[in-house]
Amino acid sequence: MNSINNVEYVSNVVESRFTVNKKEVIDQYQVSFEVKKDDVHQILSILKLEGWIQLSYLSAIDWIAENEFEIVYILMNWEKPVHIQIRTRINRENPSMDSILPIFPGCKYYEREVHEMFGVKFPGNPDYHKQLVLEGWDDMPPLRKDFDPRAYSDAHFSKREYSETFVNINDEKVSKQKKRLSRKERILNVKKGGKK
Amino acid sequence: MRELKLFLGPQHPGMHGNASVHMFVEGDIIKKSYLLPGMLHRGFEKGMERHTWVNNISLIPRVCVVEPDINEMAFAMGVEKLTKVEVPERAHWIRMIILELARISIHLMAYGGLGGPTGNYTLMYHAHADRNTILNIFEKITGHRIYHQYIVPGGVRKDLPIGIEKDIHAFLDDLESRYTEYRDLGVENASFIPRIKDTIMLPEEVVWELGVTGVGMRSAVNKPYDLRKVMPYARYDQVEFDVPVSDYSDARCRVDIKLKELVQCIGIIRQCLEKIPEGPVRVPIAPGQSMRWTVPAGHVYACVESSRGEFGYYMVSDGKDTHPYRVGVRGASYPQGLLGIEKYLPGTRIDDAALWIDTMGVCSPEIDR
Repeated sequence: MNSINNVEYVSNVVESRFTVNKKEVIDQYQVSFEVKKDDVHQILSILKLEGWIQLSYLSAIDWIAENEFEIVYILMNWEKPVHIQIRTRINRENPSMDSILPIFPGCKYYEREVHEMFGVKFPGNPDYHKQLVLEGWDDMPPLRKDFDPRAYSDAHFSKREYSETFVNINDEKVSKQKKRLSRKERILNVKKGGKK
Repeated sequence: MRELKLFLGPQHPGMHGNASVHMFVEGDIIKKSYLLPGMLHRGFEKGMERHTWVNNISLIPRVCVVEPDINEMAFAMGVEKLTKVEVPERAHWIRMIILELARISIHLMAYGGLGGPTGNYTLMYHAHADRNTILNIFEKITGHRIYHQYIVPGGVRKDLPIGIEKDIHAFLDDLESRYTEYRDLGVENASFIPRIKDTIMLPEEVVWELGVTGVGMRSAVNKPYDLRKVMPYARYDQVEFDVPVSDYSDARCRVDIKLKELVQCIGIIRQCLEKIPEGPVRVPIAPGQSMRWTVPAGHVYACVESSRGEFGYYMVSDGKDTHPYRVGVRGASYPQGLLGIEKYLPGTRIDDAALWIDTMGVCSPEIDR
């Protein structure tokens, strides 16, 4: 009913206290803010006091052209149903972002995953450097844009060789050109309505 | 007493999916535990960056094996939010029918799955037989049993086949007539209640600390926190249904709520079949050939209420490419599966670990996406 007011309420809370680089209202249930790196912890604490007590998602985006990582926090409040995206940019060289573990204890494994997939360090989270899903990984973090899965698999796994040669059971020797021509003819026929 | 290291899964009747719980036990009390995911990691998030928007439709249902439709719905909603495409009215109602049928099937599977770790196999056979009927209906509608690829950005792939209403009504009537039977087999079964009552507690503080959503949250905080109610998508604001809640969250209560939700799902599907209008079911999301569709730049988080909680896709488009720039998946069971097992499973008994995994709905494919 009053969800538009909720978005305005959030905008008031954030914009009155902090500088917002970019604000975007996606729909009546979602709003996003791009903020400075140093403000993130304060914004999250204030929003938590205002009722956004659930951390729904935490992840990163690799903007390789701008040489930056973008960290995304998504918060949810069930009383005032609005999803808030808080986004901030950090440097891609030696990336590091202070952990939000004291504010949202649920972030522990999300931060571990981001470290594993993007190589972003989270000082303050005691376990962020431990491996989670990639056992014995020896390359750059895989979700970075300059990681090429094809090159990785070529380097790590031997090319599979097939002993049996492919045999065409029907033994039809119709060239591709002939097939294409016959298809064109059929289409023309249909267009003309079957008339010659 | 000596401390022992034990594994629950990946090969275990009580373990759902390919993950493993490492436990350090003294006697039969767990002292320390953690989940070891990674046995099913297929690199979906990287894979989606390398496929076009349309190609991804066939990739996303694989993220969660047992409940694929929520993936399609969340992905489609995200693309529609980015492109600002209005979905035809009929498609909304068809989507709701599919989603609710899927919810019945997954609740039945979770309820029957409870039979694995507790030894109540009769329950499992009954539930899986009914799930099979739903899969038959899905096969008639979409052509596939498990991965339907039916809900696509811009609507649904095809209209409902003629006469499918009869099949759905027959199934719903059948399930409703045997609902008390299901209750007697499980949550009302006098020999089964001591096994599931007062175990695996989930207090309200823990819910907010971990970020648990869905049945786990509603069974603890006693408020109808359901995304279908608080931020309705599709046409959930035009159907009437209740959200079962409770303020005492033990294993039995959560299972009970899942069963009560079954009745609500049946009601929603009947209302959908009654109110569904005629009309087109799909619009293109962009002009031109589908393989060359581009989507305007933006960041969007689209989420739906799955059987386990809030399930969302975080999608980024740079506006130039035919591929998504980044897609992130918020698995509904991520908090209770990883942090929950590490922090709150210690202190319980070994045989209750499988109950945690079942009643919280921990789904390993969405942790290893």
